[in-house]
Amino acid sequence: MTATVEPVIVDDDRVDDDTLGLRGIFDRRRRRPWGLRRRILATFLIGATMLAVLLAGTTYGLASSNVVQQREEAAIEATRRNARTVQTALRGPAPTAQPAVDALVSFGVQRALIWYRDSWTAGTGRYQADALPQPLVDRVIDDAVPAHIVTEVDGETNIAVGWPLANDDPDLAVLSESFNDMVSALQERIERDARFASDVSHELRSPLTTLAGSIELIQARRDDLPDRAREAVDLLSSDVARFRTLVEDLLEISRFDAGAVTLHTDELLLTQFVSHAVSVSSMPDTPVIIGDRADNVLIVADRRRLARVIANLIDNARLHGGGAAEVRVEIPAAGRQVAHIRVEDHGPGVPHHERRLVFERFARGGGAGRRAGNDGSGLGLALVAEHVRLHGGRVWVADRADRTDGAAFIVELPAEDISADLDGEDPA
Amino acid sequence: MTVDTRILTVEDDERIRTVVKMALEDDGWTVLEASSGEEAIGLFTIHQPDVVLIDIMLPGIDGFELCRTIRRTSDVPVVMVTARDDTHDIVAGLEAGADDYLTKPFENKELSARIRALLRRVRPSGTPHARVVFGDLEIIPDEGKVLCSGTEVHLTKTEFRLLCEMAENPGKVFSREALLDKVWGYDYFGDGRLVDVHVRRLRTKIETDPAHPRHVVTVRGLGYRLQS
Repeated sequence: MTATVEPVIVDDDRVDDDTLGLRGIFDRRRRRPWGLRRRILATFLIGATMLAVLLAGTTYGLASSNVVQQREEAAIEATRRNARTVQTALRGPAPTAQPAVDALVSFGVQRALIWYRDSWTAGTGRYQADALPQPLVDRVIDDAVPAHIVTEVDGETNIAVGWPLANDDPDLAVLSESFNDMVSALQERIERDARFASDVSHELRSPLTTLAGSIELIQARRDDLPDRAREAVDLLSSDVARFRTLVEDLLEISRFDAGAVTLHTDELLLTQFVSHAVSVSSMPDTPVIIGDRADNVLIVADRRRLARVIANLIDNARLHGGGAAEVRVEIPAAGRQVAHIRVEDHGPGVPHHERRLVFERFARGGGAGRRAGNDGSGLGLALVAEHVRLHGGRVWVADRADRTDGAAFIVELPAEDISADLDGEDPA
Repeated sequence: MTVDTRILTVEDDERIRTVVKMALEDDGWTVLEASSGEEAIGLFTIHQPDVVLIDIMLPGIDGFELCRTIRRTSDVPVVMVTARDDTHDIVAGLEAGADDYLTKPFENKELSARIRALLRRVRPSGTPHARVVFGDLEIIPDEGKVLCSGTEVHLTKTEFRLLCEMAENPGKVFSREALLDKVWGYDYFGDGRLVDVHVRRLRTKIETDPAHPRHVVTVRGLGYRLQS
């Protein structure tokens, strides 16, 4: 292009003269051929240049492939060592990929990805699984063979090496297989038990609905009944109520046994929640005393279950703790992320050797606590313990805080102080 | 309540159905009975009852499906009755469009209280405002209408009542308990899931992006707030 364009740019006046002149010079040169010396020199020069270029090219090619190969070998060797670290890290009792990645990061590995139990775990946030070329993933994960590939990462060329971790320990393989079998058998069992509990629940609840509804209908016509019938209906009605509580509690505890209980948690303001739960319990006038720092504390709880915990503890105080009680909401220590709900009564207290036993099923207060007209199911405190455990908390019996007679049932739950988040909000 | 308040009860257990019928008749209501979902759909179209009670476990069409079928043509208050206090069933029932639920065994007076609260909900509670506007959301309580960017949105009675309660005090945070008390008439420890599922349903109808609500906002640990 340039060669044909350039003469056109040249000034018109000089074109004719110079073109003529140049042609003249060319003509003269063509008529005088080169001498032998010049031709030999030229041939030698061209030959030497070609040889030099060839040598340089070969040297460069050899050197660079050697360097690349060394880098690849180094990368593969490093990956193999890292793989061993990962394998060691995954041999724990409950293996997850994160500790393995952390171990690699602590070695200074900048980019690591682990495919474990069908998901990727990345070391640093910058390097994610989508940066890996699919052919490499296919080779390493599907075919389970080591592989490497040259790829661009963050704009620079890198070697990505994949190393499958074989289950090299035959004992471990058998163990993990049988463990997996056991887990799935257990899972099946849990599901079957949960289904059974659910079916039993349905079969028991239906006749109970008819029973409770019918008695309520008769109770509504109580005044029309003869005295003796009225007395009988009253008896029936209180025992149906008791039976109902017992059935509900039994169903609930069988769900715990079947492992079929799941929490449906909300974030709740502790004090608001406890006051509300007390107001719907069997003793709604029970005073709720809010301790220091307890005002803006949030708990994550299943409101129905936790309300049940408070209701059961208040029932327990009513039945075994002399009737009156008070509920205290306290934060035992600033900085420790727990809250205490204390239900304190003025009864005879619980002797030390019974403090664990009271949370067992059908363990009604021994001797003095037991009475004829007891309307508890005998499962109330056992359910309290199960519910609290499921919330990641604990429950125990202690003396009253003021050292007077009576018992204190203390529920400890994980809690979070959210005073800072709440500025300016006005709870309804 | 007026004498001709009709309640359709769908229950396959004849004994429970009889007790429920007797109890509701004691309260002065007229009771229609159906033992299956198919029968219920027939009765529903003919009689247009004021409240429907649906047992979840029905032969043939189950309670959820029946509820969805009714919801396609009507915003009649629906109470789900379940024999399992399995949370999955309860939430599924509410998602299917039920306004409230009861777990067997229930007391007759509890059932009556639920129905009375639902019947009250049909009429909004003397809202002083004729028209409330929150940005692109417009509520006309007297006409029972809600407009979203000028288009009318169809809400069930409960969703509408929930929105109106919050609209009475814009910007105020309503706890789940307060809303249960005002909208569902619960005087005992109610179930926050009732509020949560209804708020979720409300959001899908009135929010441009229900995942990032602008109007019905969750306030952590406290409840919900309506804002423009």
